[in-house]
Amino acid sequence: MNEDLLDIICCPLDKSELELDVRDRDDGEIVSGTLTCTECGEAYPIEDGIPNLLPPDMREETTA
Amino acid sequence: MSDDRPELARQRDLDQVYEPAEDSHLLAETAREYVGEGDLVLEVGTGSGYVATALAKTGADVVTTDINPMACREAHEAGLPVVRANLVEPFRDGVFDLVAFNPPYLPTPPEHEFDDWMERALSGGEDGRAVVDPFLETVRRVLAADGVVLLLVSSLTDIEAVRKRAAAGGLSAREVADESHPFERLVVLELRPTEQ
Repeated sequence: MNEDLLDIICCPLDKSELELDVRDRDDGEIVSGTLTCTECGEAYPIEDGIPNLLPPDMREETTA
Repeated sequence: MSDDRPELARQRDLDQVYEPAEDSHLLAETAREYVGEGDLVLEVGTGSGYVATALAKTGADVVTTDINPMACREAHEAGLPVVRANLVEPFRDGVFDLVAFNPPYLPTPPEHEFDDWMERALSGGEDGRAVVDPFLETVRRVLAADGVVLLLVSSLTDIEAVRKRAAAGGLSAREVADESHPFERLVVLELRPTEQ
């Protein structure tokens, strides 16, 4: 994902802002990391460049 | 003409990601007329990314979602910004000029369980509106002040019921495109926020 996506995404549960923690970056793209809700503290994974913002009860392994 | 690995990987995913069909084409052609340079567009349930790619060609900034991880990978590989999401849940209030959605809408008997991703891409539950209804309840929140929703529906899904649900979600609907097929009529509904 690109960092400017942060301007339009939010926590799917309470719509609060997300804090980005980058683990791995490739040529400007965030390949892996975590998005954490600044309100409820729920953490959402970024894997293979794709943020998974499904609510926790719908989340499952993204590797097929 | 040799198949390399990425191609083979895509072939494996093929039957788990909805491929563009008549409905995708009708939605893409219609939505293209609504957007241009600098507009911020969301395509919900992008599948193969066909509609989003067509819209990106207008110069609009297009963001996509899908609930299916394989569809998300295809969109990402196509160079589209993608978020794995349920409908419009993880987006901020009032940001999109256009939201486009070709939802699963085929009425499916209750004994027919969701057992794979293709089933989920097609089936709209018993009345065909299992995904459409929650979308209509929540989409208005993410629309910009003069934002518009384009929703593809089928005559199989009871378009009048869709209109009523839209009204309950604060949106007024009108048909802006349609196409007849042997067993159904495909319609693009334009949904705009009603006065509050």
